[in-house]
Amino acid sequence: MMPDSVTHDYTGPDARPGQKAAPKPAAESVHSQSQNQPGAKPEGQSITIPDPVVQVEDWFFSYGGDWVLKEINLEIARKEVTAFIGPSGCGKSTLLRCFNRLNDLIDGARHQGRIVADGTDIYGPDLDVTELRKRVGMVFQKSNPFPKTIYENIAYGPRILGLRDRSRLDEIVEKSLKDAALWDEVKDRLETSALGLSGGQQQRLCIARTIAVEPEVVLMDEPCSALDPIATAKIEELILELKKDYTIVIVTHNMQQAARISDYTAYLWLGQLIEFDETDLIFTNPKQKLTEDYITGRFG
Amino acid sequence: MPVAEPETRQPETRKLIPQSDSRARRKRRTLLDNLATKVVGVGGFSIIASILAILLFIFTEIFPLFSNAEVSLSTSFKAQDILAGQGDAADVALLGLNEHQEIGYILSRTGRLSFFAVKDGAEVAHELFSLGEARVTSAIQSLKGKRLTLGTSDGRAILVEIDFGVRFKQGKRSYAPRAKQVADITLDENRSALTSLAAAGDVSETLALSAITDDARVLLYLQQTEESLFGDAETTSSQIELEKIWSGTPASIALDATVRNFYMGSDDGKIYHWTLTPDAAPDFVSAVRVRNSPGAINTLNFLIGGRTLVAGESTGAVSAWFLVRDKTSPAGWRLTRIHEMTPHPSGVTAVAASARGKGFISGDANGGLHLEHTTSERHLASFSRKTGSAIELISYAPKANGALILDSAGEIAHWLVDNPHPEAGLKAFFGKVWYEGYEEPEHVWQSTGGTDEFEPKLSLVPLIFGSLKGTFYTLILSIPIAVLAALYTSQFMHPALRSKIKPTVEIMAALPSVVLGFLGGLWLAPRIEAVVPAVLLMSILIPVIVILAARAWDGVPLRIRNRFRPGIESMLLVPILLLAAWFCLYLNGAIENAFFGGSFKDWVYQTLNVGYDQRNALVVGMAMGFAVIPIIYTISEDALSNVPRTLISGSLALGATPWQTAIRVVLPTAAAGIFTAVMIGLGRAVGETMIVLMATGNTPIMDWNIFNGFRTLSANIAVEIPEAPVGGTLYRVLFLAAMLLFMITFAVNTVAEVVRQRLREKYQRL
Repeated sequence: MMPDSVTHDYTGPDARPGQKAAPKPAAESVHSQSQNQPGAKPEGQSITIPDPVVQVEDWFFSYGGDWVLKEINLEIARKEVTAFIGPSGCGKSTLLRCFNRLNDLIDGARHQGRIVADGTDIYGPDLDVTELRKRVGMVFQKSNPFPKTIYENIAYGPRILGLRDRSRLDEIVEKSLKDAALWDEVKDRLETSALGLSGGQQQRLCIARTIAVEPEVVLMDEPCSALDPIATAKIEELILELKKDYTIVIVTHNMQQAARISDYTAYLWLGQLIEFDETDLIFTNPKQKLTEDYITGRFG
Repeated sequence: MPVAEPETRQPETRKLIPQSDSRARRKRRTLLDNLATKVVGVGGFSIIASILAILLFIFTEIFPLFSNAEVSLSTSFKAQDILAGQGDAADVALLGLNEHQEIGYILSRTGRLSFFAVKDGAEVAHELFSLGEARVTSAIQSLKGKRLTLGTSDGRAILVEIDFGVRFKQGKRSYAPRAKQVADITLDENRSALTSLAAAGDVSETLALSAITDDARVLLYLQQTEESLFGDAETTSSQIELEKIWSGTPASIALDATVRNFYMGSDDGKIYHWTLTPDAAPDFVSAVRVRNSPGAINTLNFLIGGRTLVAGESTGAVSAWFLVRDKTSPAGWRLTRIHEMTPHPSGVTAVAASARGKGFISGDANGGLHLEHTTSERHLASFSRKTGSAIELISYAPKANGALILDSAGEIAHWLVDNPHPEAGLKAFFGKVWYEGYEEPEHVWQSTGGTDEFEPKLSLVPLIFGSLKGTFYTLILSIPIAVLAALYTSQFMHPALRSKIKPTVEIMAALPSVVLGFLGGLWLAPRIEAVVPAVLLMSILIPVIVILAARAWDGVPLRIRNRFRPGIESMLLVPILLLAAWFCLYLNGAIENAFFGGSFKDWVYQTLNVGYDQRNALVVGMAMGFAVIPIIYTISEDALSNVPRTLISGSLALGATPWQTAIRVVLPTAAAGIFTAVMIGLGRAVGETMIVLMATGNTPIMDWNIFNGFRTLSANIAVEIPEAPVGGTLYRVLFLAAMLLFMITFAVNTVAEVVRQRLREKYQRL
């Protein structure tokens, strides 16, 4: 692990004192930092977690226009399920994608603050992004199996990491599929196209593919939003199972789901963290009016 | 970031089927809908119909190439009617026709030449040659039928010239035919009758005559007239009786047009060959037995051009021969059987060569007639009077569109021959053909020559080869560049740069190909010629340098690398590439001296035994690359960009590098589109005309060498169409070339579409 790299100077070459709060739009590189203090005043309440895997510190993020995440402070608990909830457009998926830097792909993205994973600043200049992504896996909203066989889908991750040994690959494929509770359904057709699976199976395949590279954190971006209730139940069951080995961060629209499977819940609203607490507390005794309004269905 | 708005539902207030909507409105909507359906239908149908019509048109232009000749009987009359009681069939020595097939002539053995109107057989004029007591025992005519040579029973040869005396009066033709005796040469001092004659040359220059006498001697007469500087003509002549080296009896003789070769066919199936030199005795070269069990060589005739000899045998077999260069033979030439024509059921009695092309008519003892063509080896027609009387004489009309034929029953028949494309045929277009003067059968395209004697060589194989060669070298150069460029711009390039590069490349596609061809042929070709070793070195060195530079970049510390945004760092390559190119050019002289003995072109010539053409496949590959790269690039780029982001994200989220993602996920997923792009590029390269026309030498040779030129089907159409008279063979062959081009593109597109559908099926659930 790298030592904590708090000493980074974030002052970009184009930073000017006294600039207005509104960030400049677009055309800046991911790494060029703006020194402006974002104007929005966070009112989030957060709790501290004893042994966090990821710490988000004063995190601001923008796709090039206004900040879509403002002064986020939260911590992700090791081997627990953390759920991000909030109305559409509140920035919960954006926050999730910050954890494996998938937002880098978007032109003009900017950020401020730090995200520290096991003591390493994941936006630090010495960080190898592919290394980060190996350790922070992700399952997407829409299942995205590669147009390859089921076997090849699972073996893809280990292969790109350089594993060539066929018997070892076989082992990984079997274990991952078993862990993803898919083995019994597909063991006889590993060499058929993954695109022939049903939606729920595809999503579980994607989960199996993610855990095949043995990440520490699994990010899940609304993994059940396109699935029917039965498939959803299976995935939820799987998440609870996976919790034993992995830290899971899940974005969901479905508050019941968050309540059922998560240990911690963060409520985001308009890019701000309104409340972050243990799930039981959030759903039974929210401290913020906004949270209460949302979970009781007054808006959303 | 796309955000799904929560659905808001309007309270339903309207009825399910609104009754309030006026019936007229609904009617109008239905009407418009029907109308639109019909308009679209008509549009679609007319496009299909017009494509079919074009195909039909091309097909109707091609079809006559493969159809046989049509021969029809025009009129017939009795020989004795024309001879006006002065003889019967046995008394006819020769027949002839003028070029309009309106006036014919008939020569009787008594020396009376009568001209008659072909339509009714009425005599128009006549001429008498004073033979004294002698009779005409043999007679031959030139191909156009205007020069006759008569052999007499007292050993003389009389040369006659015919003038049909055509005049035009108020747009109508009238004739005042005359014949004039130009020479009377005593061939045989022994005064034996001349039973067979052969003639070559001209009285005013070199004249050669040959005859077989009735006592089976073979005579040769050579006469040379040299005009001195002051206009005095001096004539020298020599007369030789050939030494009897043959077995059997001489049956037929032939003299070639150059007066250098003399042939004699014997009744035991051998052809004897002598070479003739002025002022020297004929030099016997060889005797060739025409086949294992030959019949008598009844006829020996030269076809137009005087190179191909047609031998008709008493067994009915007909074969075509000419001299082929052969180093093992003492004379350097060997008489070789080239074509075997369709045999007659009975012995060949007469052969007449066409004055238009390498065709002839042969007749047999049963009255059967064949219309043949040697180059294409086509049997174009069989025809006969069904009387069974043997054919005595055949006179082929000067335009090869009719014939006068005398049979042993004394019937003279006038046949009309419609034989527009005898030299065409599948074998001529696609097979190896042994052309006059060639050492072996070959695929050759050489459609037109200076004279009627030229043998058109219409093999389309070199042109198909040229199209494939041009396409091959173009694609070899274009596919890697275009596909890799597309992969790079779609996956790695910074979007800001990409939004400029893509339209720029697409503008390249809009460059008129005539400009590209012009630049390629006149600007690029000479420059490349000067630095070929450097160009070859570049093709190796530049990729190596790019890979090395990428390796070196990996060694740069992350701290510096992360300063460059992904996609921008490639700009650092530009100076490196320019430097590499300069370096190659700098080394050119050194390489040429070190490896190619100072001159690359000489080295190519000596090592590969082919010349370096300035306009060659390499230049075409580059020039055509300019036309093809944008096509492959644009379509591939679209396909690669259309790979779902979720797949790329999924791969990246697993820790794959962008390059691994591009190669293992993006490229296979976009394979269908890239394949289509390559196929469309291929279609463009096959059909491209102007670039290949200008940047190659248009030499229809078959050689894969990259330093040679070639001629494509498309360029050939462009080059030859000004030379092709409408409806002629060449004209139709060009349509055939167009049809082939169409078929190649059609096949390519069909394969592309089938493969694309297959691949798409595989990925359709994405």
